[in-house]
Amino acid sequence: MSEIEKLKVELKNINAEYAKIKTLPPEERGEFGRQMNAKKQAILRQITELEEAAESENVEPIDVSAPCAPNQPIFKLDLGSKHPLMVELDRVVKIYSDMGFNVMESRQLDDEFHMFDSLNFAQGHPARDGYDTFRTSEGFIPPAHTSTMQHRALKKYKKDLENGGQIAVVIPGRVFRNEDVDATHEHTFYQCEGVFVSKDANMGQMFGVLKRFFELYYGQKLNIKTQPGYFPFTEPSAEFLIEKPAALGGKGWLEMGGCGMIHPNVLKTAGIDPEQYHGFAWGGGIDRLVMLKYGLNDVRYFESGKLDFLEEF
Amino acid sequence: MLISLNEIKKYVAIPEGISDQDLISSIGSRLVEIEEVIDWAPRYQGVYVAKVIKATPIEGTHLNLCEIDAGAHNQEFNQLENGLVQVVCGAPNVRAGMLAVWITPGSIVPSTYGNENFKLSVRKLQGYESNGMLAGADELGFDNEHKTIAEINPKMAQPGDSLIDVFELDDLILDVENKSLTHRPDCFGLIGFAREVAGILGVDFQEPFWPELTPVHDLPIGITITDQELCPRYSCAVFDLPEYGKKHYLTYYGDVFLAKAGMRSINPMVDLTNMIMLRTGQPLHAFDYDKLVEVGGINKPEIIVRAAKEGEEIQLLDGKTIQCISEDILITSNNVPVALAGAMGGKNTEIDASTKRVVLESATFSLYNLRKTQMAHGIFSEAITRFTKGQPAAMTYPVLAETVAEMGSDLKVLAVADEWADHQKQNVVNITTDRINSLLGTDYSVEMITKTLENVGFEVEEKADLPSKGISEPSEASQSKSRIEVSSSTKVAQNVNLRVLVPIWRTDIHIKEDVIEEVGRLLGYDNIPLTLPKGEFNGTQVSPMLALKTNLRDILSDSLAMHEVLTYSFVSKNLLERVGQDPAQSYEIVNSISPELQCFRQQIVPSLIDKVRENVKAGHKKFTIYEMNQVSNRQNGLSKEETPILTTDLGIVCLGDFYELKTKIFALMERGLKIDIEYKQIAPGSETAKLYSYLEPVRSAEILVNNHRIGAFGELRAAVLRKFKLEAPIAVAEVELDQIVDLEPTIAVDVKMSKFPSVERDLTVKVAADMPFGRVSNALYGVMTASNLIYEVEPASIYQADTENKNLSFHLKFSSLEHTLDSLEISAIMEKITVEMTKIGAMVI
Repeated sequence: MSEIEKLKVELKNINAEYAKIKTLPPEERGEFGRQMNAKKQAILRQITELEEAAESENVEPIDVSAPCAPNQPIFKLDLGSKHPLMVELDRVVKIYSDMGFNVMESRQLDDEFHMFDSLNFAQGHPARDGYDTFRTSEGFIPPAHTSTMQHRALKKYKKDLENGGQIAVVIPGRVFRNEDVDATHEHTFYQCEGVFVSKDANMGQMFGVLKRFFELYYGQKLNIKTQPGYFPFTEPSAEFLIEKPAALGGKGWLEMGGCGMIHPNVLKTAGIDPEQYHGFAWGGGIDRLVMLKYGLNDVRYFESGKLDFLEEF
Repeated sequence: MLISLNEIKKYVAIPEGISDQDLISSIGSRLVEIEEVIDWAPRYQGVYVAKVIKATPIEGTHLNLCEIDAGAHNQEFNQLENGLVQVVCGAPNVRAGMLAVWITPGSIVPSTYGNENFKLSVRKLQGYESNGMLAGADELGFDNEHKTIAEINPKMAQPGDSLIDVFELDDLILDVENKSLTHRPDCFGLIGFAREVAGILGVDFQEPFWPELTPVHDLPIGITITDQELCPRYSCAVFDLPEYGKKHYLTYYGDVFLAKAGMRSINPMVDLTNMIMLRTGQPLHAFDYDKLVEVGGINKPEIIVRAAKEGEEIQLLDGKTIQCISEDILITSNNVPVALAGAMGGKNTEIDASTKRVVLESATFSLYNLRKTQMAHGIFSEAITRFTKGQPAAMTYPVLAETVAEMGSDLKVLAVADEWADHQKQNVVNITTDRINSLLGTDYSVEMITKTLENVGFEVEEKADLPSKGISEPSEASQSKSRIEVSSSTKVAQNVNLRVLVPIWRTDIHIKEDVIEEVGRLLGYDNIPLTLPKGEFNGTQVSPMLALKTNLRDILSDSLAMHEVLTYSFVSKNLLERVGQDPAQSYEIVNSISPELQCFRQQIVPSLIDKVRENVKAGHKKFTIYEMNQVSNRQNGLSKEETPILTTDLGIVCLGDFYELKTKIFALMERGLKIDIEYKQIAPGSETAKLYSYLEPVRSAEILVNNHRIGAFGELRAAVLRKFKLEAPIAVAEVELDQIVDLEPTIAVDVKMSKFPSVERDLTVKVAADMPFGRVSNALYGVMTASNLIYEVEPASIYQADTENKNLSFHLKFSSLEHTLDSLEISAIMEKITVEMTKIGAMVI
């Protein structure tokens, strides 16, 4: 007799025993009925389990370590990838946007006025040479920093200022420096610029905004500090560093970019009265954020178009 | 630039409790970016002053067997019976009685410290035991050439003294980033740097005393400046060169001080001018007086400072003859060039052993011109580095006076001349304390502000009080606890009018913000309380193009399994030519580092084609890559602001055929962006065919939205495949994102789900081989749409058995929202299809 048959006999016996219920005094019937029912249910469960196990008896086991069953085609998953620089740039933009900044994009060909004149670079000033700019035969400049958009940003959002609000913009974009390429230098890279102008903008707010951004970016509290810097378009100017976040091993400081209070001449050129309004601006590289994040040691991968690199992301 | 911390401390009394580390970190956060701190003490461990007691020549060699005495240190090494230590020395100047420098066994030769770390030992030379070595200035890191062993003045040291103590070598050298001081000429001298350090620490700074130098006219000397812009001031002194004799001893200022700044001893006159330059930031140059007169061809010196003529030649001190550019400035003797101003003296007036009389120049030049000189001739000396920051004209004469004073009281000054037409005016900035505090976000008191400015040489005059606007309370306490803290007053600061007089050496201070920077920086930006802007942020606006790209990235990479690449914005002419684009239509870079980066790209696809072969060779057989980036074509002209019109394109390269890419483009546009598109075959020779010159027109299509072209796609031309060594099929697409960024979706999301069962039918029609598929499918869609049912049409196959005909098969699905469809209804539709098919010459089979 099989296991199932035995259980079925047992079930019959229980049913027979159940018939006794009528002979019991009414006050005992409830408890007796519950006990008998529980026994019956337990046996029914055992029967179901045995029957279902029997159904799987002829199923073939597989080799879980193999990519496919013998004589079957291997299933190929087709996966794409987003460029890590663009993913990071989108993320940076999203954080600033959530913090209340408008987002403009930078241009890849610009002119002397936006790149230098509007940013208070004196004619022939050595600082112009310091940017190692490319030039076209017409004298256009593939910009060496996203600050090339500051004048446009100020003009575009000036009306917000006049309506009692403020100018709050970030400008990501691709920039260029005419220099030889090696593991740590690229002639093509990405930056994100920030511009803020209001009646009472000050340096404390600037450092506050930078700190908040990096706290949101790295998802932790962190400190920022500064070291002196010089940019013709900001006064005072500084370079800012952030405390190395725990995700990157902690300890030490990371140079993250330049910042400063927008030079009155820059505001004036955009038609904003520097006696009435103050502003601050800052800029930093995106490539560096990505390199730090993934521990990359060669900046040349980014523009290489190599799938072996891209498939890692 | 290298700055010795010990030298700074000579000018600034560092308050108790501030360690070197605190000091360096404050300098780093408030004055200049410090790249490296080099600790000099470890490299001179085990280096002592030793007296040579006996020096006996070893026969047949140039060596001497020496017995030396380094006092108490002798016993630490192998002593001779007489208690001395034996060292073999090959220097010609070794002799009994001299004080030499002994590098002991087990110590590292200082000049190799940090590089090869050459450690000395006890070894045998010519059979004689030698314990370490007697060192030359080069081995000690003070000179580049090996001349003789260094000799120490017995007045300075005793045998056994550590070299560290004798020459102040227990020092930290700061390697600072010059770029962060570009606007601070004063900080290129120790005095100016130290003044800033005092300012940072809030301690008094004792301004140096500048000696008087009264003009002397015992000899005639003429100075003519042809252009004040080129040379604002030229001062010089003429004197007889004192008898220095041969340089005998290693000295602090003649060797070690210079070495700490990365410089080397040359001769006593030059060493002195270099020392003065390192202290004051003002470079000096010494000419041989007699040569100067002789070169000029007249019997007295006539110094004329003028612009160089293009191509004019001058032989410089380093022996090289250069051809001037017109921006160079020349110092001439009666118009014959004797120096390239700011950069290097001329060979024809060089100081040498025969020089008796000297003309010492202290001048300033246009930093813009010198910057050009520097670049054109590749001269990056300590002097020109300082000149290109713009040294103040007011300082040339005091520095000249200081140098003359340093030469000693016996110096016979024969002439002093000073040409300064346009006296520098003192800059004055009027500012209020409220303005300072409101820009920084601080509440510094007038006392703090005044003291901070006065510490670094400003004069501050208070004027009548103003009504205070008050300073808002910071919402977050200062986060950073700097060791050198600022104690802000707790009460609201009073608003005071200040008249700030700028010191003459601060040529960079002109406007209010410059003064605010001084206050903020010296008191420490890290002490500013952090807040966030208080104003209300309105809803933010993300550039529509950026938003579109983010959206496309999700569709292309995540849904369609493409890889996003980035390639350079500049391409080579050769690449453009290979894809059939005219390089003349590209904006051309004229100062490119490489021909590979010469032309701003007109489209994205060519850059991507260029990346295919490399990836195929790396083993990738099947992939699709895309890029979204800016492009420009000169044909499109300039915008209103007169900059090139830039557009953003999406380029796709797919290792597959036309139909594969078509499916992807369809999914991208219709499923992803919900924009209805149409395809139109590209006519060979058409304008479109020219624009997409890399496409094989007969295997390509324009993409149309509302009859307007937004891009094109198709297979690569055979010639393009050949030129890039690629194999068919490769399909590519170029889509102008500017054409779709503002489009509203034309495909509405219309969710209709029937609870009744659907009915399926297969349909095959036989058509002539040249019948376009689209004609049949359009007719079919017409019937299906007219049926008012929910339907799907799925192409199933295209079968062509012979050259005459082909069979097109479809899988059809119908359902109704109202009821279960019966076979009569379906048959009616199928009949209608048959009728419509017949009309276009298709036969339902």
